[in-house]
Formats: sequence, C-alpha cells, structure tokens
Amino acid sequence: MFLFILKRLAQIIPVILGVTLVVFLIMQMVPGDPAAILAGEGASQETIEQYREDLGLNRPVVEQYLSYVGNVFQGDLGNSLKNKQPVLDEILLRLPITMELAFYSILITIVLGLAAGIISAVKPYSVRDVSVMVIALLGISLPSFWLGLLLMYLFSVKLQWLPVAGWDGPLNIILPALTLGVGGAAIVARMTRSSMLDVIGQDYIRTARAKGLKEHFVIYKHALRNALIPVITVVGLQFGSLLGGTVLVESVFAINGLGRMIVDAIRTRDLPMVQGGVLVASLVFVFVNLLVDVMYRAVNKRIDLN
Amino acid sequence: MASKVTTAQTMELAKARQNTRKERWHSFRSVMTQNKAALAGAIIIGAYLLMMLVAPIIAPYDPFEISLEDKLTPPSMEHWMGTDDKGRDILSRILYGSRLSIGVGFASVLFGAFFGITLGLIAGYYGKWVDTIISRILDVMLAFPGILLALAIISALGPGLINVTIAVGVFSIPLFARIVRGSTMEVKKLEYIDAIRTLGANDFTIIFKHIFPNVLSPIIVQGSMRLATAILSAAGLSFLGLGAQPPSPEWGAMLSSGRDFLFSAPYMAIFPGLMISILVLGFNLFGDGLRDALDPKLKK
Amino acid sequence: MDKEIVLQVKNLKTHFTTSKGTAKAVDGVDFTLHKGETLGIVGESGCGKSITSLSLLRLIPTPPGKIVAGEILLNNKDIVKMKEEELRKVRGNQLSMIFQEPMTSLNPIIPVGEQIAETIRLHQRLPRKQAWQKAVDLLEMVGLPSPEKRAKQEPFQLSGGMRQRVMIAMALACTPEVLIADEPTTALDVTIQAQILELMKDLQKQIGMSIIFITHDLGVVSEVCDQVAVMYAGQVVEHRNAKDLFKTPLHPYTQGLLASLPNIHENQQELQTIEGSVPSPYDYPIGCRFADRCPHARDICRAEAPDLIETGNSDTKVRCFMHTEKWETSVKEEELVCP
Repeated sequence: MFLFILKRLAQIIPVILGVTLVVFLIMQMVPGDPAAILAGEGASQETIEQYREDLGLNRPVVEQYLSYVGNVFQGDLGNSLKNKQPVLDEILLRLPITMELAFYSILITIVLGLAAGIISAVKPYSVRDVSVMVIALLGISLPSFWLGLLLMYLFSVKLQWLPVAGWDGPLNIILPALTLGVGGAAIVARMTRSSMLDVIGQDYIRTARAKGLKEHFVIYKHALRNALIPVITVVGLQFGSLLGGTVLVESVFAINGLGRMIVDAIRTRDLPMVQGGVLVASLVFVFVNLLVDVMYRAVNKRIDLN
Repeated sequence: MASKVTTAQTMELAKARQNTRKERWHSFRSVMTQNKAALAGAIIIGAYLLMMLVAPIIAPYDPFEISLEDKLTPPSMEHWMGTDDKGRDILSRILYGSRLSIGVGFASVLFGAFFGITLGLIAGYYGKWVDTIISRILDVMLAFPGILLALAIISALGPGLINVTIAVGVFSIPLFARIVRGSTMEVKKLEYIDAIRTLGANDFTIIFKHIFPNVLSPIIVQGSMRLATAILSAAGLSFLGLGAQPPSPEWGAMLSSGRDFLFSAPYMAIFPGLMISILVLGFNLFGDGLRDALDPKLKK
Repeated sequence: MDKEIVLQVKNLKTHFTTSKGTAKAVDGVDFTLHKGETLGIVGESGCGKSITSLSLLRLIPTPPGKIVAGEILLNNKDIVKMKEEELRKVRGNQLSMIFQEPMTSLNPIIPVGEQIAETIRLHQRLPRKQAWQKAVDLLEMVGLPSPEKRAKQEPFQLSGGMRQRVMIAMALACTPEVLIADEPTTALDVTIQAQILELMKDLQKQIGMSIIFITHDLGVVSEVCDQVAVMYAGQVVEHRNAKDLFKTPLHPYTQGLLASLPNIHENQQELQTIEGSVPSPYDYPIGCRFADRCPHARDICRAEAPDLIETGNSDTKVRCFMHTEKWETSVKEEELVCP
C-alpha cells in the first residue's frame, strides 16, 4: 500500500509539471505582444517595457519557464498586475471559501446520488425507479447557472426562506451547494444504479439468498459494498467538474471564492492571477484524484493480482 | 499466420466487418423505433435544428430592435416570452440565438473531435513512445478540473464567441482521443488488419479506410454526449461574460442579462435557460439510446 | 424396507416469460429423495436440471422466471407455498446449496470466514465469537489447511478447489437435511474433482444428510449416486436405482446417453452420439419430446405424451410407451405405407 502511494506520487510529478507548463503557456499564447495587451490600450511605451520587465517576457521562453516552475515550487505565484500584491496571498484568502463550498457540494453529490441510485436499483423498472432516473436525467441536463437562478428565485425571492447571495452564514451555503451538487448527484445516481444492477445479477448474491439472508442484508451487506467500488472513481471525477463548476456558481451567488477570482481576473486581464488560480485548482484536483485512487485501492484489494 | 491469408479471404473478412456495421445500423434503427427515450431525444434535436434554419421566417420581431416603451413586459399574446430590459422580443431573440448557441456547440465538438480522433488514431495505431507522449499530454489536459482549461485558454485569447468555441473544443480533445485510442488498439489486433498490411496497404490507408470506420460508433456516442456538455459549457462561459457579448442573443448571454432582473422579470432568465435545458436533455436522451444501440458490450 | 422420504418433488413447472414467448425450462419434474441417499439429476445442458435445482430453493429470478405449478415437499411441507419468512428459515438451514462456479459464488470483498459465520449466526443465533470459531472448525472439517488464517482471507486469495471447500463448509454450516450440489466439480481440475467428491461422500456419512447431485457427467453419477433421475427437455424421463440404470437403461434417451460414454473396458472404435437436437423449450411437441431422436419411435409417440410411470417395482419409473401395454397394440412406423 505504502509502495503504491509512493508510486502514484511519482506518477503525478510529470502531470504537475505538465500543468505548470500549460499554465505558463497562457502568457505565451496571448496573441500579439502580451506586454502591450496586458498594459492596456493607450499605455505608453515605457509602461509596456515595464510590464515586459516585470513579467520576464524579455527573456528566452525556456528560461522563463524554468524560473516560473522554480518560483511555483517556492510558493511564489507572481504578483497581480492590478494591485501588485502577491497572487498567493489572494488565493489563500479565496481557496478556503471554495473548498468549503466544494465540500458541501460533494457531500450532496454523494448522499443524494447514492440514495437515489439505491432506491432505483432495488426495484428496477418500477415506477419509483423510472421517476428517479427521469429526475437524474434532468439533473445532468440543467445548466448549473440556470438552476442556481431558479433556486434563488424560488427560495430567496418568492419564499424568502434563504438569503439571496453572499457568504456570511450557514444559510448562505445551502443554495450554492445544492446547485453545484445536484448535477454530480445525478451522475452518481445513474452509476450507482447500473453498478448495483450488475452486482445483483452476480452469483454471490444468489449464494447470499440461498443462505436464507434477509433481503435487506443481501442488498446492503453483500450487494452495495461491491457496487460502491466503481462509484468511488466516478465521485473522484465528479469532484473535478465540481471544482470547475464553482466558477459559475460563485458568480451566480456572488461568493468571493477562487472561481470568481479567476473570472474577475480574466475580465481585467490580470494574467498572473488567472495562472495562479487555475494552477492551484488543478493541483487540488490532482491530489484529490490521488486520494481517490488510494481509497479505491484500499477497498478493492483484488487489483493486487492483476 | 497472417501471411498465409489470401486476398479473397481478406476481402471476405473485411466484408464481414462491414456486415457487422450494417447490422449495427439496423440495431440502431430498431433502437430508435423501440427506445422511446432515444426517439424523443432525436425529435428534440431535430426540432432545434429546424428552429435554427427557419428562425428568420418565424421570428415575430427583429431580435435587435430596441423599443424602450415596451421594456420588461411579461409574456402576453403579443410577446409570448415577454420582452427584455430594452424592449426586445425574447422569443425572437431566442429563435435567432439558437444559431449561436447550437452552432458554437457543434463547431467546438467538431474541433475537439478532429484533433482528438487524429491523436487517438495515431497513439493507438503506432503505440510505443508515440502513444506514451500523446497519453501524457492527454493526462495533463484531463488534470484541469472541469471548464478551467477552457477558462485558461480564454484568458489568453481574450473573450469572444470564437475563442469560446476553441476553448470548449480543446477541452473535448482528450475525451475523444482516449476513446479512439482504446478502440484503435482493439481493432488493430484483429487479423484482417494484419492481412491488409501484408497485401501492401500503407499506414494511412489502414488507419483511415479500415480502422477509422470501425471506431466510428464510440465516436458518435461520445459526440452526442459531448454536444450536451459543450453547449452547457459554452453557454456558461457566455453567462460569465467571456463569450458572446451583449446585445448578442446567445442564450447564455441572455441569461446573464436576465439575472439582473430576477426580481422584476424572472421570465428574462427562465426562457433562455429552459431552451438550453431541453436541448441538452435531447442530446443526453439521444446519447443514452445510441450507446445502448451501438455498444455491443452493454447489450443483452 | 421402506426408506424415509425427505424431499419429494411433484409435477414441478418453472416457466420463463420472455419477449420470444414462454420458455418451459422445467415442465413437470417429479422425483423423490430418501434420507441419507444421494440422488443424481443428469441430462444434457439445457435440459432444465439447473433450473430445477434453483427452483427447489425458489432462487429463480422473478420476473422472468416463475414456478407455475407443482409441489416441493420437504418433510411434507410445501416449499412452493411458503411465505418469505418461512422460506428464509429453510434456506441454508434445512436445505442448502453449492454452486457450479466457486470463482464467482463467493462474495469477493467479505472474508470467507465471515461468509460462513454469517449463516451460523442467522440460523443458530450463536454470538459472533462462537459463530466465528464454528466457521473455522468447519473449514478444518472440509480439509482447508491452516483454517484460522484462511478464514480471514478474501476469496481472491484462495484457489478454485479451496473456494469450493469453503462453499461446502458454508452449505454444511447448519447441518442441513438436504444438500443440493449443482455441478460442484465441473469448474475444477480433475484431481481436485476427485478430492471434492471424496470429501462430500465422507461428510454425508458423518452428518447423515441427503444429497441432490446435479451433473451432466455420468461418470460422477456412477461414483456417488444411489438413485438417478434422468432429465430431458424439462422432464424426468427415467428415475431409478443407479446400479440398475447403468446395467439396464430403460428409456431410449438413457440408452443413448450410456452408449455415448467412453468405456475403458471395451475396445470401442468410435463413440455413439444421439442424432438430432433437443426441442426448443418455447415449443415442445405434443407427443413424446424425445420421439424425433428416438430409434424406436412409433405413431403413438408423436400423438400422445407418455407419463412417468412405475414399471416392475416402485423404485423404477420411466416415461416411455415401450414399457406400457399400449406399445404392443401400437403399429410400428415402418409398417405404415405412405400413399
């Protein structure tokens, strides 16, 4: 197990380097003269040169990249073009908010998704199953930013049960977390259902029934635990689209998280800020995936053999 | 072993493959007639495509005509979906906007599919170090959570609908590439490919004439699913103000301006979102049905 | 000497409803199992023997399958009519089962000891610790080396033969009156097969249970069975004492089966096969289901369906007109002249 973790850690190093390369290339991809564009229209030649100097754009690309990676590993993500403050400081302010939102959302994804999937699988093709699956299909089809607005309209404007926007109390968390978690829940529900149906058809479930076990023992002790193994991977992947989704949901609910920071930075063309935000979010995702892999390995010891 | 296979046999084998393709088409058609959900999906998509075509004919008003005395009127007989904050007819804007929202979706998926399929075929066919390099690149692309890669690209290229198309398209590349790579590896192992090679076919012919048609079905399934995601992502980026800019009637952009009037005129946000949702639902229904029809592993 | 009857199956019918129609997989099966004896149920694949065995414990997935008629009398109580609750008390307790595929019949993520102990806790209400100890004892009884260590392992750490031993231990956990073994050795190597058969015979003597042994392998039948029921197209066609059956098979199908066995004592040049194929369970003929493949078939065989009737003594039952009075009065097919 320990060896496995080490091996996986070694495997993610090239991925992390690749991610830094892509993030670094953002600056190089700016069409025309990045310094001129970033300095803004009508900037004097002097200002442009100053930008070029600050961003290190006057050095050879390889050297720029090496120094970028070096800085990243020392925790230096550069300074904002707008307020000249270190990008990392801003990120450290914003990341906890996004992580909190992501945590509650993934909780909703898992709990709601598993419950719906099990409810469906226990009585396949029943009215209950079909209705749950129809709802799940809607869940993956609704744009989160629209769902967020609908929920906001219903619960905040019409019913006035919950605050409209912001991030200052536990009540503020409910709508954004729901908005962000529902899509994943729908995917987890579909996956859980098909995985459960697959497992329920297995020989060992027949064995469990032949022993005289009660049906709920058969379902929860023998079937569910096996069915959950592939679901773990799906939840891990879901965390990725969820992190990406924070960009939209934070914008809908005016939450000052990392996602909104990135969007604002794109609007103001504060590239170092964008680079920092995208890099940190991706690193979080890479490590969450590592965690998921380790968990998968822990529950499914059989892959030792293969 | 392969060298002993004669031309006639090879042709037979190739024909047999084609027959299975024909069979698959038949099973696809039978799924469309039997699987009501897939049929519903196809009908929804068809209706939207029709809407794109006939938008100028059926739109009751000019989508850009500002008429401030008519602003923010709720849905009525004159304006079925109401009017927006500048007095423009929302229905007409939605009809015209279909061209943008659906067009961006298709264009980005085609973009992603083109590069993804090419990379996947190359990686799967040549294997070895070529595969290793391509696979590592794909890993890196997949390491960006959700639409963040698209955001990164837009941050460099600048906002705009075309840049959104590229960004969302890039985000589709690894998904197509992975699937094509896997299928190519499977098809490559088949004997008749060896046989064709011994008959002197070059790599290009083998890849495009013999392997590509055989990996088509997973591509179509993935394409349908990706269209759903691409339309959602593109609309999302426009919603953030990074894609289509006002006064464009792109649905995400309409939603974005609608949210400022959520209290007074919720219909401004409701209708564009509804249009996106139904279209995405259509692609998901269709994709589910296609997968059942074309994936022999899932069929029982 | 009248032997005590443990399990009696009368006119059992298990049908499957599919899009193609109704498949009569089991269509009127009768057999009797005596205390302490082993009954072999033999037949080609697709004859309904596995469905019969699953029906005994009502393990047929419904839908599409359903027991549509018949009685399964375990000590004179009808399993078909039992309520869920009652049925669960019988399963794994009085009537237990081992399956063909030891690879897939054990839960892959639960330690094998727990899978056995679970049954013991369920039916004997023993506390956790005692149940575990008993599970370990059972593993020792079925000849698993270092049972304490093995009990904690998961199935993937065990070989096929070991897993089948675990399955047997699990089935015997509550000393059942009847053990149903559905092709228990088919998936195993020949040497392991012999060991498992030996083990089952030993344990039967120790516990005194009755066994229903389902197999397509007549060699195995001759080794372990006291009685044999030969199945064809969803029905029992011959039900007899094993020795008699091998000596003088009565039903033409049984005769065909035995003729197709390689015999090491005689220098056979080629093995015989039964011409033709089994009728589709969706559409059985009106008359005898074997008539189309039978060398002795006459008009009556195609017009009427024979019953399973006693011939000679009460231990011998056969479903064939050749052993009835009707046979003498019927006309041979060859004698019919076609116009």
